[in-house]
Amino acid sequence: MKEQLLKLKNEVIEKLSKISNENDLRELEIKYLGRKGELTTILRELKNLSEEEKKIIGALSNETKQYLEQKFEEKLNELKNKKLDQDLKESIDYTLPGKKYEFGHLHPITILQQRVETIFSQMGFSVMDGPEIESEWYNFEGLNIPSTHPARDMQDTFFIDQEADDKHGNLVLRTHTSPVQVRTMLKYGAPLRVIVPGRVFRNEATDARHEHTFDQVEGLCVDENISLSHLKGVMQEFLTRLFEKEVKVRFRPGFFPFVEPGLELDFSCLLCAGKGCKVCKNIGWLEFMGAGMVHENVLKAGKIDPKKYQGWAFGFGLTRLALMRYEIDDIRHLMTPNLQFLKQF
Amino acid sequence: MYLSLNWLKNFISIPSTISPQELGSLLTLHTAEVEKIIIEAEKFQNMVIGEVVELKKHPNADKLFVCKVNIGKEINQIVCGGINLREKMLVPVALPGAYIRWHGEGDLIKLEKVKLRGEESNGMICAGEEIGIEKAPANGITDLSHLKVKPGTPLAEALNFNDVIFEIDNKSLTNRPDLWGHYGIARELSVILNLPLKKLSLIDEKTLPTKKGKKLKIEIKDFKLCPRYIGTLITNIEIKKSPVWLKKRLESINIRSINNIVDITNYVMAELGQPMHAFDKNLIEEGIIVRTAKNEEKITTLDGENRILTEEMLVIADHKKPIAIAGIMGAENSEIKNETKEIILESANFNAINVRKTSSRLNLRTESLQRYEKGIDPDLTKTAALRAIELILEVCPESEIVNSIEDIKNYEPKDIEISLNLERCNSKIGKNISEKQIEKILTGLEFKVKKEEKNFKVSVPEFRAQGDVKIEDDLIEEIARMYGYDNLEPTLPPLPIKLPIKNTERLLKHEARNILSHGLNFTETYNYSFYSEKDLVNCLLPKEKHIKVKNYLSMDQTHMRLSLLPNILKAIQTNLKNNNEFNIFEFGRIYEKTEKSFWPLEKKMILACMVRPENYQQEVFLDIKGILETFLERFKFSGRYKLEKPKNPENFVHPGKYVNILIEGKNIGKIYIPHPQVLKNFDIQAQIGIFELNFALVRNELGLEILDKEQRPNFIASLGQKEIKYKPLPKFPGISFDVSVTIDKEKLYKDIYAQIEKSSELIKQIELFDIYTGDKISSNKKNLAFRILLQNLEKTLTDEDMQKAQKEVFANLQKIGGEIRGL
Repeated sequence: MKEQLLKLKNEVIEKLSKISNENDLRELEIKYLGRKGELTTILRELKNLSEEEKKIIGALSNETKQYLEQKFEEKLNELKNKKLDQDLKESIDYTLPGKKYEFGHLHPITILQQRVETIFSQMGFSVMDGPEIESEWYNFEGLNIPSTHPARDMQDTFFIDQEADDKHGNLVLRTHTSPVQVRTMLKYGAPLRVIVPGRVFRNEATDARHEHTFDQVEGLCVDENISLSHLKGVMQEFLTRLFEKEVKVRFRPGFFPFVEPGLELDFSCLLCAGKGCKVCKNIGWLEFMGAGMVHENVLKAGKIDPKKYQGWAFGFGLTRLALMRYEIDDIRHLMTPNLQFLKQF
Repeated sequence: MYLSLNWLKNFISIPSTISPQELGSLLTLHTAEVEKIIIEAEKFQNMVIGEVVELKKHPNADKLFVCKVNIGKEINQIVCGGINLREKMLVPVALPGAYIRWHGEGDLIKLEKVKLRGEESNGMICAGEEIGIEKAPANGITDLSHLKVKPGTPLAEALNFNDVIFEIDNKSLTNRPDLWGHYGIARELSVILNLPLKKLSLIDEKTLPTKKGKKLKIEIKDFKLCPRYIGTLITNIEIKKSPVWLKKRLESINIRSINNIVDITNYVMAELGQPMHAFDKNLIEEGIIVRTAKNEEKITTLDGENRILTEEMLVIADHKKPIAIAGIMGAENSEIKNETKEIILESANFNAINVRKTSSRLNLRTESLQRYEKGIDPDLTKTAALRAIELILEVCPESEIVNSIEDIKNYEPKDIEISLNLERCNSKIGKNISEKQIEKILTGLEFKVKKEEKNFKVSVPEFRAQGDVKIEDDLIEEIARMYGYDNLEPTLPPLPIKLPIKNTERLLKHEARNILSHGLNFTETYNYSFYSEKDLVNCLLPKEKHIKVKNYLSMDQTHMRLSLLPNILKAIQTNLKNNNEFNIFEFGRIYEKTEKSFWPLEKKMILACMVRPENYQQEVFLDIKGILETFLERFKFSGRYKLEKPKNPENFVHPGKYVNILIEGKNIGKIYIPHPQVLKNFDIQAQIGIFELNFALVRNELGLEILDKEQRPNFIASLGQKEIKYKPLPKFPGISFDVSVTIDKEKLYKDIYAQIEKSSELIKQIELFDIYTGDKISSNKKNLAFRILLQNLEKTLTDEDMQKAQKEVFANLQKIGGEIRGL
């Protein structure tokens, strides 16, 4: 057996020297040292030997096993180092294109809407919603716009082809998000701080600057001591955060039947910061939205006591804001599902 | 509307230290938006008065002269062809750099130094039309010798073009009838600038030159439609061109000069905001009747259009015919002509709503209508009549009034008094404005103020009481804007003690969009809420459930969408031109007619769509199903969702490739391949897999608006966000084995899966990694290959454990007719 062991040892050493990769090495190790390997086979014979021989051969076979195991490890190390040296010789053309991975894109209006909602939420506003098919009552009368008002003319409003209701009048596509003012007041009462982003419709021809379908954001803040100074503060903060630079706002008198005092809000031109440039047509200000203190008739329509509560409302075009924010030159892109456009966002 | 600064200065002494820009900005911030400021003199830059000092024939051109022109500092040589040129003549000279219009036509051109047929020409002697002043005689230049000014005087100065014109945005005047004339704006400026407003000094009625004659008969049929009509018969009128000052004033504010009488009516309108009209008395049969039109009554208006009237429309008529559409436009049949000798001067008040309706029915808007539709103070008619008569006497000194001014009226003064709570006023504005200042602003605007402890009793002047100022808030607006919005400090309102009302639906909506786009590679599209009848027919949708738009913009947009599908299919069709593999989704609303309510059903839907090329080798149905499965993982629901194939699927789906998705027994959406006929109708050549989910209910079939918290169970938004709870990680390794089974094609995967699943409790995961049908097996069979993971949380598995489980799996599969391969 001693000879057998020696022979095996030499055989292994010789084969080891010829091995050039890790796979062959592993196979060789299994062949000789594995559970069914040749060394094990020899060792099985051990039980047939006398106690004395068992001691000597046992020791020898252990020694051989350990020796071979060490050799295998050395060889493995050698092979690994060789591979490492080889790896280091390689280099890559880093200018080759990276593998393409894709993710989908959100619509620019969605992106902006999420930002708007986040900022207003931080200022304590809830986000509300309302139906897009409205009644004339909610869209007009409830907002102090009587049937004789010019805004009620056919050319501005889409009407639904259905018979009118006694209280509610005709069904219309909401022309602004303002009907949600009254709906929210009726639902939650005062005090109230909400914004309402949503789709609105105007019956007017579409061109590069006009769309019959666009998105607005309505704002409403009602409490015991809410003032116009607060409106200025909230909008200045909102715009500053949205555009990530200091933005100032100014008010001008304006007229909307559902607010009194009514005003127009401009913000300082983003490009020239109020000095006057091409973008703001040298005025230094960009027209942004209509706003004002909620008219007492609107509070009454919302079952809120105008003697106890007061507040303001505003409405701005999210679509217009998107055009400004992303410098989009044609409003029609927003409602045209063209992937070449949408994948830019 | 245009305003002339010089005209305003008739009523208020605006100091010259205030620049036109400052003045414009003050008006914008306190009263109405100034859209444009036109400085008249700018048009005449680089233009001077020149004196022709020498005139010679051009050596190389018969029709041209070479002139030496004194332009003050120097003598310039200018080549000119004016046939009326003579030495010592004063002429308008445009120097290089000036903008002129060749022969008064085309665009403005910048003048440069040139050589004409070899002779240098340093500027141009102009005909009036070339520089926007009075036309010169044919082939001549404009002779300005009568001005008697020094050569070199700037042309603007010599011609007195020193006005500044402000263009006001009409929209910002919709509620202010009092601002539609110079006097009203001057009143605003007097408060803004803290300067006195000059009172209108009107001619005394008693001193008017009058003559006895037949009295002018005026009859008003309905005082609601015409509360007041002042008619004045004036004789010995001489119709001629207006004097220069009048003509220039009107032209400066973009009103064309016609003749002295018409110009005066326009002048008074621009000054006071009261429209006026003049009729030729000889063309009027007897007197004036203010009445509604007869049905289909015809009138030819001054713009030459023949118009057909209806019974609601108010007209001014004589005893035979209508002679004007009240408040809008006169008729040709009574127009002032050159030979007119006697006129009826009208200054009247009409009902705002009635004239506006008439105007929109006739599609006819005029300067006069723009003012009437705002609701003018009836008291203004008298002021305007006197002002116009005063001007007529100035322009036609021979003229006389026949009898007297006829004034027919029937209306009550508005006499509005409002109690103003000063504390509330300041609380709404957000600034402590002193009592004194408030009083000053209000009285400046001609409100009368009486103090009463904490309140003011405020009387509204009649010219502001016509609907504009009615309540306390209207006064607060006056105070706020005149005090100056710029003086308000931006302040944040104190945060309320309660957090904002929670809106789970919103959170889920954003989450859903984010997962689909950034997670699952779908790009969001927005589509219109309408489509055409053709679209809905092409999409095999039920027509009767659609809501129709009454006044649609185009035939493409006649129906409100009942499904997101048609517009998505159109989007696919368009994008297929550049791209044959993409994923899109839409988050949008659909609307449905219901029998139970006046209100339509309105819901929010998600539609996600996978587009693959025609030769795509995999089942796109399974692709989209996988997307949906991953998507649903983010929502909260116990157990698994279920699939159910309805017996009568909707028409637009492929009848063999369609399934409903049920969560907790409620139908929440569907996965489908569109019907091939639908794809054919939309001309789509691609493979398409779609899932649609009910996201949220806005308004139910009973017309009730649905609150966030009571979302119906068959909407995703009612599920809520996934609840996350940690499960301990496995401590002991698992073992996996593969099994490949050949089985009848008809056998559903879910039954095979169930057969494997029930085989052992150790089975933790069953993964189908191959499906085969083809030559190697019989044609009614399929082969499925699974990888099965076994795991015990308590211990390491043994070979025996695995063999036992394997045996059970094999046996269970054989029970349903499966043949295990390699066994």
